[in-house]
Amino acid sequence: MESKTRIEGPADQDLAERASIGDRDAFSMLVERHYAFIHRVAWKWCRDRSAAEDIAQNVCLRLGFAIRNWRNESAFKTWLYRITINAAHDHARFVAREMRKAQAMAVHAATLGEEIETYKPSHSDYVWDAVRTLPDKQRDAMLLVYGEELNHADAAAVMGCAESTVSYHLHTARKQLKSLLGKSGAEQ
Amino acid sequence: MIDDDLKRLARSAPPPLEDAKRKALEAALHAFDKSGPEKVKASAQGSPDDGRLTHVATSIWSGLMRQRYMAGTALATLMILPAAAYMTWQISQNHDGWQPKLLSPLEMGTNADRETAEKSAVPRIWQQREVEQVASEPVPQVAASPAAERSRNLDASVPQRSTGQPMGGVARQGLSGQITRQSFDDADKPYASPFGEIEWNRIESFESNGVKSVTENPVSTFSADVDTASYAMVRRALKQGVLPDPKTVRVEEMVNYFNYDYPAPDTAETPFRATVTVTPTPWNANTKLLHIGVKGYDLKPAARPHANVVLLVDVSGSMQEADKLPLLKSAFRLLIQELEPEDTVSIVTYAGDAGTVLEPTPVSDKAKILDALDELRPGGSTAGAAGIEEAYRLAEKGSVKDGINRVLLATDGDFNVGASDDDALKAMIEKKRESGVFLSIFGFGQGNYNDQLMQALAQNGNGVAAYIDTLSEAEKTLVQEASASLFPIASDVKFQIEFNPEVIAEYRQIGFETRALDREDFNNDSVDAGEIGSGHTVTAIYEITPVGSPAILNSDLRYGDAPQTSDSAYGDELAFLKIRAKVPGEAQSKLTEIPVLKDAEVSSFADAPEDVRFSIGVAAFGQKLRGIDQVDSFGFEAIEKIAADARGEDPFGYRSEFLQLVRLAMGLEQ
Repeated sequence: MESKTRIEGPADQDLAERASIGDRDAFSMLVERHYAFIHRVAWKWCRDRSAAEDIAQNVCLRLGFAIRNWRNESAFKTWLYRITINAAHDHARFVAREMRKAQAMAVHAATLGEEIETYKPSHSDYVWDAVRTLPDKQRDAMLLVYGEELNHADAAAVMGCAESTVSYHLHTARKQLKSLLGKSGAEQ
Repeated sequence: MIDDDLKRLARSAPPPLEDAKRKALEAALHAFDKSGPEKVKASAQGSPDDGRLTHVATSIWSGLMRQRYMAGTALATLMILPAAAYMTWQISQNHDGWQPKLLSPLEMGTNADRETAEKSAVPRIWQQREVEQVASEPVPQVAASPAAERSRNLDASVPQRSTGQPMGGVARQGLSGQITRQSFDDADKPYASPFGEIEWNRIESFESNGVKSVTENPVSTFSADVDTASYAMVRRALKQGVLPDPKTVRVEEMVNYFNYDYPAPDTAETPFRATVTVTPTPWNANTKLLHIGVKGYDLKPAARPHANVVLLVDVSGSMQEADKLPLLKSAFRLLIQELEPEDTVSIVTYAGDAGTVLEPTPVSDKAKILDALDELRPGGSTAGAAGIEEAYRLAEKGSVKDGINRVLLATDGDFNVGASDDDALKAMIEKKRESGVFLSIFGFGQGNYNDQLMQALAQNGNGVAAYIDTLSEAEKTLVQEASASLFPIASDVKFQIEFNPEVIAEYRQIGFETRALDREDFNNDSVDAGEIGSGHTVTAIYEITPVGSPAILNSDLRYGDAPQTSDSAYGDELAFLKIRAKVPGEAQSKLTEIPVLKDAEVSSFADAPEDVRFSIGVAAFGQKLRGIDQVDSFGFEAIEKIAADARGEDPFGYRSEFLQLVRLAMGLEQ
């Protein structure tokens, strides 16, 4: 996991412990300290400025409830990764649902065969476009290992699966990406 | 190379805006405070009551979102096109936008996470405080109406929880102030809440037919019904922007919705003619499709028997919507134009109590019939059973010997008053069928359409169940197919197909799940089955796996018979088709036998007749909607291509409409 040395003051685990039994200041300090991290992860998972803000805000909101059940069973960062990634998934599903509705409405209203614009995140690039098409688990594994530069063991802890499963997801994802990027990558 | 590309994933995000951060921190602390007291109390009282926590969270959420409508995200750019309609949608379905799912189990989380989410308990005291707080807030909050409660109970997969979020948008449009659930109900009338509500319909779900081994089950038996309701319901769902519930799609009804130009029998003595085609399977190179197309004899108008028709019309309060009673009146007007002057029409209504509106009247007095039809007004609740009894009484009163005596039932839903035990109704209809009065059912509108009951009733009453959602659909069912739905040329039509184990290893019937018969029922004339109307077509399709194909799923048995030598007399037969049917009015069925020879096989799919290809395209689409594994890798694009190539003349545009549905489904699929 990321080095904690640059963080001053009490350790995350201690703050979380105190927050879970109702220490408001400890909780405030914890969220303040990690907002940038949450935002960064959210951004990497959606590559869109305003979506990242929405996700980060939702994570903070969830934290307010979830911290009460903090059990000190995993590293705080691992736990935070999970909550943030889940929020990012929820958001992606929400966007997909809205897209479908808008699209269906458009097809219904307009004459047939008209293309309508698809959702384009504000900071996308060709690699992200390819990664975005992967199934959830593979995308999470890719983003944790390549985006967040975690090792397989840490990524496995976040994803709650075996290390070999992470390696398997990465392997499958890379194969898929190779064929996708093989085409568009050549144009770059 | 790919590793260089992947480094881009590590690119860091632009720094967060201070403003966003401040708001997020506020939200976090707010949530933290809210979650505070309950934890202490929870352990004291420990009354689990999920749902409340969500409410607490959403009330915070709505407060936040007052300042910022959700569509402020990148989605806003999309809203240009159907902005107004889309907004109405959002509101009408009391849709919640992106709702923080605090209680949803964290997918990747450990069990501990899940447990805490589920076990979160909120004490009653806390609930009360929450309600007070809500009441004092100027934020439009939604009180869960009984209807909303009901919907939650009915179908948990369609969350109807209300949050303040869409209301935030409304408030900005100038409708601020207290907005009650009631006013939303009124507002969404014209749009009839397109999402979720379709789930209210009572539609039977069933499992798809599996692959069967020919050595174990060489015989497949089914009843030839030509109901079409499933297609219209699929169409309705797709046009409203949702994929239909996979478990409720009846593939054979979709296939049989279309009229196919199969070769017809020459005389009325042979009531129908079956044509069998075997073609390669478009979605699997290692299997074949066995396609059976049956066409009924088309009665010339002069040979038509007289008809005695009783219209049984549901005029309950729910029928007043534009797509129900008004549509029904227009539809029956069309039907009456189709009848001959000597035919008779009666009208019975049911709502609260059943009443006769029109005694049997000859069609020569058309004005009187049309006036009576116009007089129908909605009101009261539904007493279907009493209505049916009254309709049958009239049908028997005006009964024409050797003619058609039929009750046409038009309804939007349930029989909810009176002897409305489904089985008792079925038994009654079955008894009346013996007396020569048949029943056809036309479903209107959506909301609480009881598809399962209607289908069962029509089957028991020797009639069709059709679902009418537009006037053009009414035109199709009641005018173009009037003779088919009114004048049966064969009843209790049963199919039995026996596969030759020397040639075919496995088979799978596409659709007809709800119409399967036991093998011994085929020769039992007292077992009821479907009927074929004048000029009707029935299509049945099997996916067959030839012996030696790599697609065979079942491996050979170790302790079975030794493999047969393939020099028997039936080496050139793929299967043997038997059809049993009764000439209307006769008790004894007649048997037709058709061997399916190898020369019925075409070498490529493109060589198959146009109608065969189109019906296979429809079957592929139906299976796709049902989520059947075999067509998993077969895309909507490929279906579209099959259907487009086989569209043919399409004088009424039904096939073009089908293409439109395929495109809609393509858009809705992720």
